[in-house]
Amino acid sequence: MTSAVPLHLHGISKSFGAVQALHPMTQTIEGSEMLALLGPSGCGKTTTLRIIAGFETPDHGSVVIGSCDVTELPPNKRDLGMVFQNYSLFPHMTVGENVAFGLKMQGITAAERTQRAREMLALVRLTQHEDRRIHQLSGGQQQRIALARALVTNPSTLLLDEPLGALDKNLRESMQFELRAIQQRLGITSILVTHDQEEALTMSNRVAVMCDGQVIQVGRPADIYERPRNRFVAEFLGTANIVAGTVTAQTAERRWDVALTGEAGGSVPVQSDATLTTGDTILLAVRPERLELGPVRAGGLRARVQDVVFRGSYFAYELRVHGQDRPFFHYSQTRKDIPADGMVGLRWQPDNAIVLEDRP
Amino acid sequence: MTVPAVPVRRRKRVRYGVIALGIYVLLFLGFIAAPIVSVVLVSFSTASFIAFPIPGFTLRWYWRIIEYRPFIDALIVSGEVAVLSTVFGALLGIPAALALARSRAMAAAIVSNFLLAPVTVPAIVLGLALLYFLSSLSFGISFTALLIAHTVAGIPYIVRTVLSVYRSIPPDLEEAAAILGASRWQTLVHTTLPLVRPGVFAGGLFAVLTSLDNLPLSFFFGSATTNTLPVVMLSYMENQFDPSIAAISTVQMVIAIVILLIADRVYGIEKLTS
Amino acid sequence: MTAAPTPAAIEPAARRSRPYRLASWSWTLPVLLFLGFFFVIPLGANILRSLQTGQTATNGPLFYYIKLLTDAYYAGIIVETLKVATITTLLCLIVGYPVAYFMVRFAGRWNAVIVFLLIAPLLTSIIMRTFGWRVLLARRGALTTLLVDWGVIPRPINIADEPFAVYLGLVHVLAPFMILSISAVLQKVDVRLEESARVLGASALGTFFRITLPLSLDGIATGCILVFVVTNGSFLTMLLLGGGKITTLSLLIYQQFNVAQDVGFAAAMGNLLLFVGLVSLALQARFMRRGGVKS
Repeated sequence: MTSAVPLHLHGISKSFGAVQALHPMTQTIEGSEMLALLGPSGCGKTTTLRIIAGFETPDHGSVVIGSCDVTELPPNKRDLGMVFQNYSLFPHMTVGENVAFGLKMQGITAAERTQRAREMLALVRLTQHEDRRIHQLSGGQQQRIALARALVTNPSTLLLDEPLGALDKNLRESMQFELRAIQQRLGITSILVTHDQEEALTMSNRVAVMCDGQVIQVGRPADIYERPRNRFVAEFLGTANIVAGTVTAQTAERRWDVALTGEAGGSVPVQSDATLTTGDTILLAVRPERLELGPVRAGGLRARVQDVVFRGSYFAYELRVHGQDRPFFHYSQTRKDIPADGMVGLRWQPDNAIVLEDRP
Repeated sequence: MTVPAVPVRRRKRVRYGVIALGIYVLLFLGFIAAPIVSVVLVSFSTASFIAFPIPGFTLRWYWRIIEYRPFIDALIVSGEVAVLSTVFGALLGIPAALALARSRAMAAAIVSNFLLAPVTVPAIVLGLALLYFLSSLSFGISFTALLIAHTVAGIPYIVRTVLSVYRSIPPDLEEAAAILGASRWQTLVHTTLPLVRPGVFAGGLFAVLTSLDNLPLSFFFGSATTNTLPVVMLSYMENQFDPSIAAISTVQMVIAIVILLIADRVYGIEKLTS
Repeated sequence: MTAAPTPAAIEPAARRSRPYRLASWSWTLPVLLFLGFFFVIPLGANILRSLQTGQTATNGPLFYYIKLLTDAYYAGIIVETLKVATITTLLCLIVGYPVAYFMVRFAGRWNAVIVFLLIAPLLTSIIMRTFGWRVLLARRGALTTLLVDWGVIPRPINIADEPFAVYLGLVHVLAPFMILSISAVLQKVDVRLEESARVLGASALGTFFRITLPLSLDGIATGCILVFVVTNGSFLTMLLLGGGKITTLSLLIYQQFNVAQDVGFAAAMGNLLLFVGLVSLALQARFMRRGGVKS
């Protein structure tokens, strides 16, 4: 295996006509790291990947793999592996021919091609399917063949474009682990494009959340989940209960009291690294599993339980908070006793309230 | 094992309208087949004029074809023109179709329509215009002129099917080839051309069949060495009216069927018609 | 490039956008050159020829066209050409629509068989099919023999050299094109639309005229224009089955070419034929754009 090389994006940007698909983006993907580009459709993640692959030329900036500027190189000279959204396996070739295609393009002899293709098929556990036609394979098998085909040439970087998007849920989950295991075993620098937050969190070392052609936040999955920068990230990655409030007083270092806006009323303690001053209006986000239900207390946040849904591994409570347009959610491993009138008090630990960057 | 109770069977409503329509369709298909079947029958008739019921079976009209040189010569000319014009049409049409299929530019739509235009010009007008033009270049009545005329007429068929087949192929496949290290030329040879081959075959088949039957185009370029089969048949019919016309027609049909069967053997008929 | 710098030029490292694409525009050049030289120029020269050769020298450039449109004989032929094409188109529509409807709604797996039987005649030459009608319709042909045997007609007659035979031959050649045009569009009409009309209380016939027929107008238009244009361009059926009783523009060009060799006049007739075809196609494009039934 060649040693893993980093990939640098230096201020790449792209517009299609009047639409700025990608604002200048600078990012380094370390050797053998997997970075996920996560965002809704149209956020620029696919454009970024296509620029790295060489299918699009950036308007500005450069793409550097290792120490080599590949911005002007055609796709076939970039030494990349790529798994496409619909796998894009060649329907007119057998499984073995598909996997060996990259080697054939390099002019490697038939004997060596067959041998190396077999090694790759062994890696994805499909050795016995070598002579099958593509349409004879299931979706999961096609996915693994696509991976084997992408890896057979020992590329410097692996690009994954929604690689699991076409699979059903169960298969998708097991493939997430399998793909991650293979990527880590080979130690290949990888970029994953996905709109599926679970996929991004499970598979990657770092996640870059994108919106409207810009990277909003980059970080390790847990950090982004725990400390989303703004409302978009908080709501795109998982569920967030968001409430507005005004800073009333600083009680200690990094601790403030926040009076919640509207009839929600009450004052809640908040712990944050953000620089806040008294009188600031802010947005707070609380993860459903960090929200605590308890008896109604005077001056506290009150809610009515609208519905309780069993979701398999947890219970989801839909809560109607007085003065809030949108319902709150609370996730709990155990079923709680709810008073007959359905009214409960809501609380959270001070450091579980996330101060978002955007202002109401 | 208990015998399950026989469920009460409800009488299915007989749909007389559909049955009547079905009978009509059968009659129509009979109408389509009738003249073709009768020509095949007549080609085996012992009578030297058209008469029904045919008095007896013979192969003498097929012998007559072989003896009558112009038929055989014309059959060869027809075959050469059909195949060569289709090959040239493919060489010219396929690259253009590949370049145009995925472009959303207005110009691409205009050029595509232009490439399809020869099929909308009546062959007799195209033939007339080409004959006078090529005559002014002093190769009016020649095999080359015939070939040019048939190539012009054949290009739309190839372009049309390759356009539609190539549009149905996801662009990802070529991107996949490129990222696996294939140069443009390698991508073309190993990915694009194999994938559009059904379109080339379907279009080529139509071009060949149309060329074989394109009397209005061919008769302008007629000479002893450039007469195609329909031209010879027409002039034969103006003088004689015996079953050898039926025989040569049947031979031509059999040749077409063989071409179709080979195409089917290679690609499958459903791929050709879709 | 010494002109005033545009904003794009000031910004560093601005590139021309060129997405990865296999084929380039230059791939269209050979065929454009070929068709330009052997299709556009000949047709253009044909127009010049109709305006500049033969009797136009003494009688003005539009002489042949004026002759075609005003001379009673030629004007009659033009009218007859349009009449034959119109009648053939209507016949194909009436004969073909039920077949197309049956194929799409009721044929099921037999649909493929019917499609095959409709395009199979393409494997035979038009001469063969026309000859076949002579075999059936001639004085001692199969049909006439049958009719005499059944006592429908007293003695054998020749119906091969009648306008009737011409229409029969044309419908035989062209009805499949009409059917395939209509069935292609009908295929896309959701059967649930018909069902909802029925549920809403429309009769079977009412459903057909209010729902099915309007939704298949695109296919009808395509088929009609196709049949109309091809009929205008064909002469073989008229030549072999008409017995000289039907003369159309195409047939006239054929005869002129074989007999008279009046180059300018033949060119003018060809251009007129081409003009009729182009007008038909323009009408179709117009209808398709405005028809709105596609949506």
